Amino acid sequence: MSDNEPENEEIRSDGAGIVAPDDETPTWSERKARKTGLSRLTYEYFERARREDQDLRTESDYVERDVLAFPTWPHETVRNLSIASFFVGMILFLSATMPPHIGNPANPSTTPAVILPDWYLYWSFGLLKLGPLNPEIAILGDQMLMADRTYGVLANGVVVGFIAIVPFLNKGSARRPVEQPFWSAVGVFGVVFALTISLLAIKNLMPMNVDLLFDLTFLLPFVFGTITYAVLKTMREGYMYNLNRRYYRLRPPR
Amino acid sequence: MADEFIKGLGILTGSGLAWLVLASWYRTSSFESSKQLIEPLSSGATEGLFNIIGVTLMDVFLWFALLGALTFWVLIPAGHQIMSALEERRNAQ
Repeated sequence: MSDNEPENEEIRSDGAGIVAPDDETPTWSERKARKTGLSRLTYEYFERARREDQDLRTESDYVERDVLAFPTWPHETVRNLSIASFFVGMILFLSATMPPHIGNPANPSTTPAVILPDWYLYWSFGLLKLGPLNPEIAILGDQMLMADRTYGVLANGVVVGFIAIVPFLNKGSARRPVEQPFWSAVGVFGVVFALTISLLAIKNLMPMNVDLLFDLTFLLPFVFGTITYAVLKTMREGYMYNLNRRYYRLRPPR
Repeated sequence: MADEFIKGLGILTGSGLAWLVLASWYRTSSFESSKQLIEPLSSGATEGLFNIIGVTLMDVFLWFALLGALTFWVLIPAGHQIMSALEERRNAQ
């Protein structure tokens, strides 16, 4: 191990002893050889950033602002440029290697065999296909209470209404899913349901039994939600969870 | 552990992307097909040296993606667990 690592020294919250002087900053290979883990590296990185921020504040010409963050240039800009370059490169690569077939122009006088919205609206389109769930009322002589299409439109209202209510039920104070297993399970339920209801929307194209697909659409979200709840609830047992919870509640000193 | 995760993810995504491209060349009749990427080889896929290389690489990339992710996410961590368990048992005696 390297020499500049303090041994049996209590960690102070002012950053001294954690931030190495510039000429002693370890190289990447030295950091890798330390085997002290990613959490330690992250801690040192932010501790160093915080120390630099503190040094800036003590300079005489420093103007106090309410914002405590990384500057846009170069930190944020370089990161965003690299991410943007990656995605532009992926678009160029995919469009060059897998050019899609350009079909005939649309014929406005006929309806195509397959009608679909854009993929991000499949979930809403799938909600229009809930016909088998539309209840029949025996009193009305086995008539439907409403048409299947009306039922589908109302289902959209139910889903959107539930999403609108969630922020009032849970204020979102948890920093990690393990802190609130139930609401994490609700989130996983929603994500999986969005996926399965989207697959129901394209049931004509799915290479599987349509009835099975319909059942799985409503079964899988409950399965994955339950698994999520069980796993997160299990993770809460034990020593490391309580230790981490205390660590994550720490805030940098003012 | 984080190193092993990113190695497995890099192999899975990188090799999977190469497989995706080659399978779109050799196993896709139409992008509107519901069996694209897993269809039987298109006609003419085994004619010429470059096509044979491409078809071979397609399978190589697919298995490299699957086995690479399996290795770095399951086998190597399991090996570490076994080694540390053996170490503990040896120290306990």
